[in-house]
Amino acid sequence: MQRVVLAAVVVLLCALAPVVPPFTLTLITEALIFGLFAMSLDLMVGYTRLYSFGHAAAYGLGAYATALMLLHFDLPLPLGILAGVALAVVVAVPIAWICTKSTGVSFAMLTLAFAQLGYAMLFRFKDVTGGSDGIGGIPRPAGPFGLAVFQGKLGYFYLVTFCLVGSYLLCRVLVRSPFGAVLAGIRENDAKMRALGYNTRAYKMAVVVVAYGFGALAGALYTPFAGFVAPELFFWLVSGRVLIMVVVGGAGTLIGPIIGGAFFLMLEHELSEATDLWPLIFGAIFIAFVMLAPEGIWGLLTRHARTQPPRPDDDADREAPRAAS
Amino acid sequence: MAIEPGEVRAVIGPNGAGKSTLFNLITGVLPPTDGDIVFAGERITGLPVHRIIQKGVARTFQLTHLFPALTARENVRVAAQARHAGRWRPLAGSALFAATAQAADAALDLMRLSGVADVKAGVLSHGDQRLLEIAMAIAQRPRLLMLDEPTQGLSIEETDRAVHILRGMLSDGGLTVLLVEHDMEVVFRLADQITVLHRGKVIADGPPAAVKANAEVQSAYLGGLDQ
Repeated sequence: MQRVVLAAVVVLLCALAPVVPPFTLTLITEALIFGLFAMSLDLMVGYTRLYSFGHAAAYGLGAYATALMLLHFDLPLPLGILAGVALAVVVAVPIAWICTKSTGVSFAMLTLAFAQLGYAMLFRFKDVTGGSDGIGGIPRPAGPFGLAVFQGKLGYFYLVTFCLVGSYLLCRVLVRSPFGAVLAGIRENDAKMRALGYNTRAYKMAVVVVAYGFGALAGALYTPFAGFVAPELFFWLVSGRVLIMVVVGGAGTLIGPIIGGAFFLMLEHELSEATDLWPLIFGAIFIAFVMLAPEGIWGLLTRHARTQPPRPDDDADREAPRAAS
Repeated sequence: MAIEPGEVRAVIGPNGAGKSTLFNLITGVLPPTDGDIVFAGERITGLPVHRIIQKGVARTFQLTHLFPALTARENVRVAAQARHAGRWRPLAGSALFAATAQAADAALDLMRLSGVADVKAGVLSHGDQRLLEIAMAIAQRPRLLMLDEPTQGLSIEETDRAVHILRGMLSDGGLTVLLVEHDMEVVFRLADQITVLHRGKVIADGPPAAVKANAEVQSAYLGGLDQ
């Protein structure tokens, strides 16, 4: 049932895209990018209980790497994005290696430290990164095969939608696989997993790198969308915002954070036009969710479904993968 | 001290005798300050925990360690997955789930837990939780099974039930068991060899009857209960 509704929403979005006002399309595109970003963090926060306070590093790495690729190598747009993601993943490996040496609060602080390190390095290496100005004028090259379709607003929207749906399906397979079952075990009891013979550090490293990869994809999609990158992408406020999006959307559900990310971005847009006090309203919403609906937006939406007797195929997203019984 | 294949050896001793330390040394949680640990002819001293477990050692904890939000079956299934040969094949997910679920159901059945297989581990009774942890250990098909006070915190009836189930499991033979237990009655009903630890040293070693009669053990441990 959920699957049908989700597919219908995607089809509806794609069908309406050509007729909505251009400005709305831009807003939706950005919302989807942020949804993808929040979903990538959910792999760590919701499925493995690894709280990252520095997920902006993934976003910023993807964005800057893609900016440099597109600017200097004239790659076709999709290739430039993929190359940016690949570069970010390579950088993520040593970060994951160091961060997973610790757990809990120290893990969170280490991730934050790496994000701030990235932020500081942008200013240190001005020649490459443009310092506080960032990098502007990033093209959307069609490349040698003339993939001009992604250069327009509508084409780019479809590219982002494709990446989001594809990433969602990949992550869904991942969390329902035996690997996902191990992540759930680590979330529940890390010491016991080690006592069962799992090298939990290796699994945690893997999930951090994968989360960085999808986070970098979101950042990479942002670059040609905005046409410029700036150091703020690495800033801790971005990390904090995305963490809030995951919690408000519903951690450990993948789809919840996508909704949370998109919802927050739309809301921020509407509120910031209406009043300067919008961060205050944000804070109130966050507190309300944590206290009244810790299962998040998606939990609220599916609360009704979950009080029904569970069917084998529905609603398994929240649970650890189960064997087909 | 040494454990022969196929024997059920209990380690007893007063609080602080080093029983849990012994467990932690064998499984690599603590590094030994001196001496060697040899498992199946192979020196395992200083290896990380998960490597030692992968050689065929399974343990339970004195304080129950479970995955509370997962079902009893999933708890055991994850344990079985840890030692399953197919766990690294990313595309064989459903085959792995099927095989390990089968192993989990068998282990749950052995511990008489089939009725609660779909209940979340966190809401099981304390007695069932202790048995569930043993089921997880069995599902790993260990060459050495280490049980740290399996009846700790159980009522008399629950203890009796647990001992009954454990005896049934051990009667099948083939398992090598190292058992730490405070309850002497449980020890004498389950073990065929007993090692007595006192302040980190072995002070007696042998079949239950001989250990019971040993004068030094009487004064160090058992005596304290009788006199």
